[in-house]
Amino acid sequence: MFDFDATLPLMAVQFLVLAALLNAVFYKPLTKVIEERDQYIRTNESEAKERLSKAEQLATQYELQLADARRQSQAAIASAQAEAQKLASQRIAEAQKEAQIQREQAQQEIEQQKQSALRSLEQQVDALSRQILEKLLGTAAV
Amino acid sequence: MEMLDNLNFLPLAKLEVGHHLYWQIGNLKIHGQVFLTSWFVIGLLLIASLAATRNSQRIPTGIQNFMEYALEFIRDLAKNQLGEKEYRPWVPFIGTLFLFIFVSNWSGALIPWKLIHLPEGELAAPTNDINTTVALALLTSLAYFYAGFRKKGLGYFAKYIQPTPILLPIAILEDFTKPLSLSFRLFGNILADELVVAVLVLLVPLFVPLPVMALGLFTSAIQALVFATLAAAYIHEALEGHGDEHEEHS
Repeated sequence: MFDFDATLPLMAVQFLVLAALLNAVFYKPLTKVIEERDQYIRTNESEAKERLSKAEQLATQYELQLADARRQSQAAIASAQAEAQKLASQRIAEAQKEAQIQREQAQQEIEQQKQSALRSLEQQVDALSRQILEKLLGTAAV
Repeated sequence: MEMLDNLNFLPLAKLEVGHHLYWQIGNLKIHGQVFLTSWFVIGLLLIASLAATRNSQRIPTGIQNFMEYALEFIRDLAKNQLGEKEYRPWVPFIGTLFLFIFVSNWSGALIPWKLIHLPEGELAAPTNDINTTVALALLTSLAYFYAGFRKKGLGYFAKYIQPTPILLPIAILEDFTKPLSLSFRLFGNILADELVVAVLVLLVPLFVPLPVMALGLFTSAIQALVFATLAAAYIHEALEGHGDEHEEHS
């Protein structure tokens, strides 16, 4: 069972040769592959993170723009409403004024006509009262 | 052992411990069956590695995915023991220890080597030969000495007398017990597992040995993990040492 002979050193040499061969065909190439893959994954991950942060930045920017636009639109609506309100009240005021003027004109006209009617009535009264006087007293009296 | 040899009446289950297929190289004797299976293991590892890296993709599939899982496991093991800063250059050594021992153990447990007849001895896991485990353990010792010297130069010897010179004999003894315990733990576990399975198969050929075989698979995996983890821990110890720890705390 315990007979040592030249097997021992030859096995040692053989083992070292195996280690060298495996280093050449197994450890080195596969380690390279694994490390390249790690590198690839790391760069991809960092790129993806960068892209994600950029996307988030863009999203916040867009949100800001959106809020801005919303505020602007609300302001525009408000100003348009105010303008419309102003315009409407202005028109109403104008219309009321016009109506006032027209009413005054009409009133004036009515007044005029009343005056002229009264005047003509007075004339007629005068004429009639003279006629009545003539009839009653005769022409000589006059 | 003789009693066990006498029990070899079934061709299905034969116990052969201490029989080796000897090859003669010059005036050196080597255990041929150990090399045959270790070449199989090495071939398996190389083929799997080549298949995994031949056409490597960014999104791994199939064998590449599997081998990447194995590599990540090994890297985690080394990183846990040696720390983020130091582990990289030691991944091939620790990883090869783990892979070689693991595939050896499982090939011994899963592949029916018995079907291939050798003139003498039998094919089994390379790790059930003491030569293999001692070779791996001595390489681990060399590795942690190398790590210590490269990091601290001759200052590495300071760790022997660092807290107090009284512990010098124990510190020196440690350098012998480390490879001894490493090699014998692995050797004993794998050989004992194969022997238990063999004896059980001898006694009850069907179904009963299956749970023990499953347990054997489990211990085989654990032993590979233990060996690699301990090797990494020893290297870490040599790299850190007592001096560094004090510096870190101060």
